[in-house]
Order: sequence, then structure tokens, then C-alpha cells
Amino acid sequence: MTSSSSLSASSSFPQSSTSSAVVAARKSIRLGQALTVLALVALAAHYVRAIQYTPIEATQGLAQKIFYVHVPAAWSAFLAFGILGVCSALFLWLHDRRLDLFAEASAEVGTVLTLIVLTTGPLWGKPIWGTWWQWEVRLTSTLFLFFLMVGYLTLRRSIFDPLERARYSAVVGILGAMLVPFIHLSVYMFRTIHPKPVILNPEGPTLPGSMLSTLLEGVAIMTVMYLGLVLVRYGIGRLQDEKEARHAAQG
Amino acid sequence: MLLRAEPPANGGFMVAAYALVAVVLVVYAVTLFVRARSLVGEVKE
Repeated sequence: MTSSSSLSASSSFPQSSTSSAVVAARKSIRLGQALTVLALVALAAHYVRAIQYTPIEATQGLAQKIFYVHVPAAWSAFLAFGILGVCSALFLWLHDRRLDLFAEASAEVGTVLTLIVLTTGPLWGKPIWGTWWQWEVRLTSTLFLFFLMVGYLTLRRSIFDPLERARYSAVVGILGAMLVPFIHLSVYMFRTIHPKPVILNPEGPTLPGSMLSTLLEGVAIMTVMYLGLVLVRYGIGRLQDEKEARHAAQG
Repeated sequence: MLLRAEPPANGGFMVAAYALVAVVLVVYAVTLFVRARSLVGEVKE
């Protein structure tokens, strides 16, 4: 992105080179930092609750408690990609630069969260399934989504014209978001070793209350974590945009 | 899910997963905070 500074201002993309954009970016960063710190502290407390105050599952043992970070990370990653899809679609309609920047921020945070999902999953799978990885549909499609998002972020750094970059990225972003419901429903559509959803399933939550409340706490914390990180990343994107516009204006 | 007195001893996997999540999130957050601080200094109102 930084290498395209001179090209960005020469494109047809409308730039908002105003001090109000800087103020908005700083506000976004400050709020995001506060939420992120809050979420990190809450995550530490969540660990204590999950380890000390949540029952140990009979057949899986302590490894089952990976569930309390794996599922919330998956939820927040899917939330991130859902928001990426919505922002991308709205960008193609409204051509608002802020939507493109928020889509980029959401994609990056979602990719980090997917990395967590893809590493905590095998750490759970090894003691329970006896193998780190299975090439079954849920795991494979999540890995595919991760690669697609790495491609999205690479694409953004490969196109110098901001308007072209935003348009192509929006299309890839929408395609990535379309994978999310498929990944969620894949355990119903195919025979798979992966457990079925324990909350978002047709019969309602299938967990004991103490486990369910710990899981929901994790989901809430990872949602706040996503919001915090995405706001900071969005603020960075807006400041970077402003910096490039000023650099170009100076010649 | 059933509860029993002596579940399998596999706590190491849980510790590894919890540590990994914390490290990834803290490293990413600190990276973003440093980038944000640098840009805030560069781009004045």
C-alpha cells in the first residue's frame, strides 16, 4: 500500500483529504485500543473460568476446553468475513472509500482469527481424533477460506490504482463471505468427522448450562476483540490514506 | 456430554492452545498499536 502513494492521488478515486478524516481515524484507533485491551484482560479471566470453574468433559478430558477458544475464534472470524462481504457489496453500490477500508480491516482481522481456528483445531483433534488433520469438508473449506483471504490481502497490495484495487477486492471479498454459510452447513451436507454446531443447530443449544455459559462468554469476548482490532486497523487504513493523499498533493 | 471423575490426561494440548491464542492476539494487537502510533505521529490534523 505504501508503495502506491504517488499513484493513489493520481487516480480517479475521490480522496477525503480533510482534518476531519484524521480526527475520525484517531477516534477509531482510540476506541479500538480500549476495546482490544478490555478484551485481552477479559480473555485472561475467561481462561481462569474455563480451566478452574467449568466441568471437565468425561470422554475428552481437558483437551475439550480448547472448545472455549476455538469456537469463539471461529464465530468472530465468520463475523469478520460476513462484515467484509456486506462492506464489499455496499462499496460496489455506493463507492464510499470508507467501506473499502473497513472491508480491508475486517478481512485482515478475520484472517488472523482464522489462523487461530486452524491452529487450535488440530491441537484439539490430535488427542480426540488421534490425528492433527483430516481432509474432510469443514477443515478443508476453512483452510480454503484462509488461503482466499490471504489472496485478498495480497491482491490489495498488488494493484496500485485505489479504485481498481477496491473494485477487484470487493468482488473477492464477496466470494469469500459466500463461503461462510457453506462452511457452517457443511457438517450437515456431508459426512464428516467434525462435530456439529452446539448452539446454532435446529434443536437449540445441546450443552450443559455451565459449559454453555462459558462458551457464550468466550463468544462475547472474541466479538469485542474483533471490534477492537478492526477499529484500530480501520483507523490505520484511514490515516494511511490521508498520508498518501498529502504526499501526492505535495508532488 | 457426561461428567466423570477421571477424564483422560491431555491438559498439555489445552495449555498449548490457550498460549497460542494469547500470543497471536497480543502480537497482532501490539503490531497494530505500534503502526497506529507511528501514523498518528506522521499525520497531523
